[in-house]
Parts: sequence; C-alpha cells; structure tokens
Amino acid sequence: MNNLAFETPWALMGLILLLVPIFRSNMRATTYPWLDILPNDPLSELLNLLIRLLSMAALAALFLGLSGIYLKEQHVERIGRGAHIVMLLDRSNSMDNSFAGKAPSGNDISKADAARQLLTEFVDHRPHDLIGIAEYSTSPLFVMPLTENKQAIHAAIDATSIPALAYTNISKGLSMALSFFEHQPVSGSRIILLVSDGAAVIDPDSEAALRVLFKQQQVRLYWLFLRTDNSPGIFAEPEDQRDDNAQAMPELYLHRFFSSLKIPYHAYEAENPDAMQKAIADIDRLEKLPLHYRQAIPKQDLSAAFYGWASFFMLLLVGVKMCEARTA
Amino acid sequence: MMRFNSHGLKTVYLKDYRAWCLLLSLLAMAALFVFPTHKRNADIYNLTFVIDITRSMNAEDYRIAEQPVSRLEFVKLSLREFVRSLPCQSKVGLGVFTERRSTILFEPIEVCNGYPELDKSIAALDWRMAWAADSRIAGGLLDAMQLLEAKETALVFISDGQEAPPLNPRYRTDFSALNGKLKGLILGVGGLQPVPIPKFDPKGQRIGVYGPDDVPHRAYFGDSDLNPEKIEGYDARNAPFGKHAAVGDEHMSALRESYLQQLAAETGLNYQRLQNDRPLIDIGQSPALGSQQSIESDRRYYFALCALGFFLAIFLI
Repeated sequence: MNNLAFETPWALMGLILLLVPIFRSNMRATTYPWLDILPNDPLSELLNLLIRLLSMAALAALFLGLSGIYLKEQHVERIGRGAHIVMLLDRSNSMDNSFAGKAPSGNDISKADAARQLLTEFVDHRPHDLIGIAEYSTSPLFVMPLTENKQAIHAAIDATSIPALAYTNISKGLSMALSFFEHQPVSGSRIILLVSDGAAVIDPDSEAALRVLFKQQQVRLYWLFLRTDNSPGIFAEPEDQRDDNAQAMPELYLHRFFSSLKIPYHAYEAENPDAMQKAIADIDRLEKLPLHYRQAIPKQDLSAAFYGWASFFMLLLVGVKMCEARTA
Repeated sequence: MMRFNSHGLKTVYLKDYRAWCLLLSLLAMAALFVFPTHKRNADIYNLTFVIDITRSMNAEDYRIAEQPVSRLEFVKLSLREFVRSLPCQSKVGLGVFTERRSTILFEPIEVCNGYPELDKSIAALDWRMAWAADSRIAGGLLDAMQLLEAKETALVFISDGQEAPPLNPRYRTDFSALNGKLKGLILGVGGLQPVPIPKFDPKGQRIGVYGPDDVPHRAYFGDSDLNPEKIEGYDARNAPFGKHAAVGDEHMSALRESYLQQLAAETGLNYQRLQNDRPLIDIGQSPALGSQQSIESDRRYYFALCALGFFLAIFLI
C-alpha cells in the first residue's frame, strides 16, 4: 500500500458519496397499498443488496480513477558490471589550448574538446554506472550529483565547451569529488577520474585531510594527465637537483602524493587525443566489477484500470436493469 | 404479482429515466477510453539560470519562518520550488556568475526526468564556488548572454546589482550588439534597505561583517569621471580622484534596483524582483519566456465526472 499515491488526492473525498446507495434506492418505486401484506422474499432482498454493492463498487472505482491513483516509481536491485564514477574535470584556462600549448587552429582541437568527446563516448559505453561530475579551477564547482540519468550527464559534459575559468586548485577539487561518495552505499568500485592538464601544489593541511578521505571512501583514482608538448610529465625525474621540489615540478609531486596514498591508483599521460582514447578504453576494461545497482521501474498509472472497473460495474448494472421485472 | 411482458417491458424500460442515466454514464465511460487525452497549448520553458554567487549574496535580508536567510539561500529555495512547478518537457540549465564571467554548469535538462539531479545541483550552489572575488555584474551579464546567444534557451540572471568595486561610469559595458538577441529576465534579489555583508575566514567560519575599511567606496580605475575643478587635491597624474579617500556605504548591500532596470533596458531583457512572499518568477508577468507548444493533456476526469453525474442522478432524483 505504501507504493500507492494519488495525483489529486482531494478527489478521494468523493468516496463519502458511497453512502448514497445505502440510503437511497436506485430502483423504481411501486406504490403498494399495504406493505405488511408483502410476503418475505429473501431472494429479492439479496438481489437488492447485490445491486447496491455493485453501485457502490462502481462509484468507488470512479473516484479512485478521478483521484489519479498510481503506483510509485519502484526500484529493483540488479547486479551488473559497473562503477560509481566521479569525473573531476580541470577547468583552468590552459585546457582551452591544444596539446601543442597553443590556441587551437585548423585541425587542432583543444584539450578540453578532446576530453569532452572522449568522456561523452565513455558515458555512453557504461550503461550501469552512476556518474557524477565536479569541476575545479581556483575553486571547486559542484556540477552533477552521482546519477544514472545519462541525459543530465551529457548536459553537464556538453557545458564544458564554454571557455574555461581561472587557475588550478586541485586539492579543493579532490575534496569535493570525494564528498560525492558520502552517504552512498559502497557497491562495485568507487572511482575518481581526474582529467587535468596540470597540477598544483597541495598544502600540508589539505594533504593530510585528503589522505584520510581517500582511505575512508575506498576510492580508486585514475589520473588522465593531458600533457602539453615540452612540459614536464608526471613521470619525468628532475635533471637538476634544484628543481626537485613541488613548486618546480607539481605534476611529479602530485603523482608521488597519489602513489603514496596506498589506494589503487593509475596515471595515464596522454600527449594527443589517441593516447587519451587508449587510456579511457583501459579504464573501461578494468572497471567492470560486479555492481549492485537499482533499476528504476517508472511509475504506473492505475487510474485507467479503475475506470475500466467502473465501466465494468456499470455494464453489469445495465445488464441487471435489462432483467428488471415490470410490476403491473 | 410479477409478470413478464416483453412488449410492456420495453416501453417501461424506455420511459425509465434510470435506464437512460445508466446508459449515458456507460456512454461517458466509453468516451473516456476513446478520447483519453486532448491536445492543448501550454507554455513550455527552456531556461538557463545564472546565479550571482559573489559575497554580497550572503547578506541576510530575506526571512523564512522568522529566521533570517541569505539572498543565495533564498534564491536556491525559490529555485527548487520553481523547478518543481514547471510543466514536464520544460528544461532548466544552471550557471553561476562571479568576477566578470559566467559559467554554465550544465545545459538545460528536462525537469520531470532530471528533477532529483536539478534539485541536488541547486542545493549544492555555494558562494565558495566563486573562482574570483570581484562582482562585475554588467560583465558577467554580457558573458552569460554571449554564452547563450546561439542556444535555444532563455536567460534568467539573478543578482542583487551591487558592482564591487564600484563602477566608473566612464567605462560602461556595451550591450548594443546583443540587445534583443536573447529572451530573458533579470531577477533582482535583496531588500531595499542596506544590510551588512557577512565575512568568512578561509575555513568558512563566519567572522563578523564587512566594515567600511574593507572595501573601496568608489572606482579608482581609469580616468576620473569627476570634474577636476571640483576635486580637492586633484592631480592629473598622481591623484586623479582627489587626495581624500572616498567614504560611502559600499560595505553594506541593498538591491540596486534602478541599476538592474537600466541593464535590463540596455540588454532587452525583462526585469523582476524576487520578493519574500512571491514565487521566484511570476510567469504571468513574463509570458515571453515560455514558448507555446502543444502537449497531450489528460481529460479523462471530464468524462468520469459526466459519468458520475448521470450515475448519481439515478439515486438522487
């Protein structure tokens, strides 16, 4: 019964009219000189009762139909292959440049465009995933909660076609992405897919907080690093001892930080759209753990059925009416 | 004494209003199943909300259940309620404005399917999402209009109209290229009485309010807009704005309604004010935002009521 709901519940007040067939008769009255003279007629009494009940049933069905009764959206638990994925997208200015580090011209596409196309495909490939989107530049932006609504995810990915914002503040972005998993059941794998073209220094306070959060939320981290030509990559070891610090090589230091988290972590360095494609395909292949997911069964309108019943009862009454005896 | 008489039965049957009523109600039910819906023109909306998340939106001049709430909180609550009230097939997108830029978080999504997502995303809006701290409203509005110009969505730009730092009237944003190109609305939020703006530390703890010394009270950018002869201590190179610091109440915030109305006139958008006791958007006042589309609407209730009327008549006449 908890699954039933009404579009216009006030129409249920009409159910009070069910009293009408009890107090009023729907049969032709025949004048009779003296009622006491009539013999007891149990069959007629029974028929009378049945006709009244039938009328009440017709009325009840009609009012339930009018109240717009429906079965609420239900969820059935199923097991599929998929994951809970939070995409954390870099919206810093440099994402609008091509992999060559210039403003895109001719056949070049910007890193943001390449990322957008690939992520769109990725989302279409993964039917059972719950996907959420967070973005960051100087501040984190909450974009889309974890959801199975693919249209909403596409709408959010499409919106990254507009110009990017400001600088790169990765620690705030990461904590926002991690916050998506709060109050979510642990099922299948939990993934943060970080798509960025640069890194930034994480201050010690945030670093400690992030360590705790990553452990608590049991997250697997994929870093898709879009490397611009001639920039140091995530795996580049410094040539000069003096460059071996987080300010000079933030990518390397961020990579070291992620590696030290003791969580499943994989970094991909992509220098062109093809390499990105490979990385995405890799993630697609790897993240196929069994996942409990809830499939929604959309709400079902029951009013049509009740209107049908009302018609059926009325039809019966018409039939009864046809059989009505005519008294002289 | 009962007696069946086929001929007599027929005449009596046809004369009996009860039989007619019963047949009519059955007929109404048949019509219900044959014509369950009809086409109707309804206003469908495709709106992109761009919401000011600058500091002045933290000023608390709305009340909910006698509790003061910030402008941003109030906007979020009103927006969530508004989204719930939109007819299906309408679409809502979301963006934020700060500094002199607007960004779109997601393109418009259908409200009935996407309601849970819309609701959560709106609830997650926060002033801490601002990537920079200025509040150049005209610039943000121009940016939002440019982003949406080529799209089939109307803009609802929500702001309190307080430019920070104050604007130098010499340098106004030029909207002439976009005037009238976009349907939309500027929604003014805030009270008309200036109220203090809360101040927060980097951890998000509230630490009092902005004082007069925290903010510039006039524009110091570019050439002075004042008459040099009237400025005390004027020096064209070293002190184009005079030798005294400007005083003012820019640390307080009120809805700058006339400024937003001026922007609305320049951009060809409508202007409305968000008031405590009114819905977010008074659809009646801004019919241009929606577009008439024919939608199938349920009219079974109409036939069901007819059937009910006939059916009850049997008992009540």
